[in-house]
Amino acid sequence: MSFDPRRIHEVPDDLLAAIDYCYAQGWTDGLPVVPPVVERVEATLAFEGRPPEAVIATHPATGLQLTVHAAAVNAVMAGCLPEYFPVLVAAFEAMDKPEFNFHGSTASTGGSAPFLIVSGEVVDDIGMNADVNLFGPGNRANATIGRATRLILRNVFQMLPGVSDKSTQGNPGKYSLCIAERARGNPWPLLCEAQGYPPGVSSVTAFAAGGFCNVENHGGNTPEQILISVADAMANYGCLTLGQSVVILSPEHMQIIGNAGWSREDAQTFLFASAKRSVEGMKMVGKYRDREYERQHGASAHASVEAGFIHRGLSPDDILITMGGGDAGGHSCFLPSWSRARGSLMQHKPIGVCIDCD
Amino acid sequence: MRLYDPTASGPERHLNRAPALAALQGKTIGILENGKFNAAEMLQEVAALFESRHGCVVRPLYSKTNASAPADAEVLKKAVGEVDFLITGLGD
Repeated sequence: MSFDPRRIHEVPDDLLAAIDYCYAQGWTDGLPVVPPVVERVEATLAFEGRPPEAVIATHPATGLQLTVHAAAVNAVMAGCLPEYFPVLVAAFEAMDKPEFNFHGSTASTGGSAPFLIVSGEVVDDIGMNADVNLFGPGNRANATIGRATRLILRNVFQMLPGVSDKSTQGNPGKYSLCIAERARGNPWPLLCEAQGYPPGVSSVTAFAAGGFCNVENHGGNTPEQILISVADAMANYGCLTLGQSVVILSPEHMQIIGNAGWSREDAQTFLFASAKRSVEGMKMVGKYRDREYERQHGASAHASVEAGFIHRGLSPDDILITMGGGDAGGHSCFLPSWSRARGSLMQHKPIGVCIDCD
Repeated sequence: MRLYDPTASGPERHLNRAPALAALQGKTIGILENGKFNAAEMLQEVAALFESRHGCVVRPLYSKTNASAPADAEVLKKAVGEVDFLITGLGD
């Protein structure tokens, strides 16, 4: 395998010096990286069927391209094992869809983090964590796949904090935000099934996420009690927009909902109907806009839309719900879309396989 | 130790500025607002200055459907046929 020799940096055979060299080049997210030695990069490339020069994603504003090779280099730097690579590749294929709008979501003052949700057999195959401490810390695959995403945004797409990434306050998820969907005890079809992929095919869903909001409820014993708590978080004045949502239910909460016979669609519909604020309230905080109300309440309005209220999203389908986390604890979470409207929509792709490829 | 470079180089792109107008007097202005809070209000104020200072004519607003993506091609095509210059900016 041969590459342009200008793309190789010869550095002294000293690990700490190589780490410092990576800092000096501006290649890190602030934390030390694994120096991307040629041998490890090539071992990573072995997990992708396409040639190293194949393009996975293109930055719509600058034309910068992510090749398989560049993705592998950044994966190594993030600390990924080679077998994690197909997840990272699929994540960027998902983010490359125009509807994800990854230029806007990575440049905006809003400070979104690319949130990856991995679903299916690959979770166990590569040792991802869908259980206790779901959002970290502690699991290499979760942490490094998410981190590789950030390093690619920085190194390949040049989304540099303060220069091209203008996030007002940043977001801790911008270091890494990658989880696995929990299959054990999950009463609902896994996301990869719900997304229509064939049996045995795993998927990754990419979502331009705002900050993580914990939803604690240790007293509720009915689906309504649990989901009203979630809906209240979704409809807080600081978060309420027409954007999409992700809700990760803890196993305790999911057990209450699942045992009552509620499907994912039931929960989505309930949340959409419940996550709302009155027009008067929105006016009180200065966030009401006629054009948003008209968009939600117009001819194509969902049946659950209530006159005089702004709901979160445009329909129940705008709320992705699944399960993750440890057995103990009434702690679910909600993550809002970075987009206040439809500027970025979550996207998914199969992992390690080509379905309807161009 | 041999390290691969993690950055990428993109295809060369050549972007050119539109030629400047020789004069503003009597020209027709378009306003492209990005859909965010206060964008239309702020840009209308800017347009009013062109009207009062340079006798420009202001066309009705053009709007973007997505603040963080380029305007729809149809919107830009329409503007090209209707105005001498376009004012755009960010609200929020």
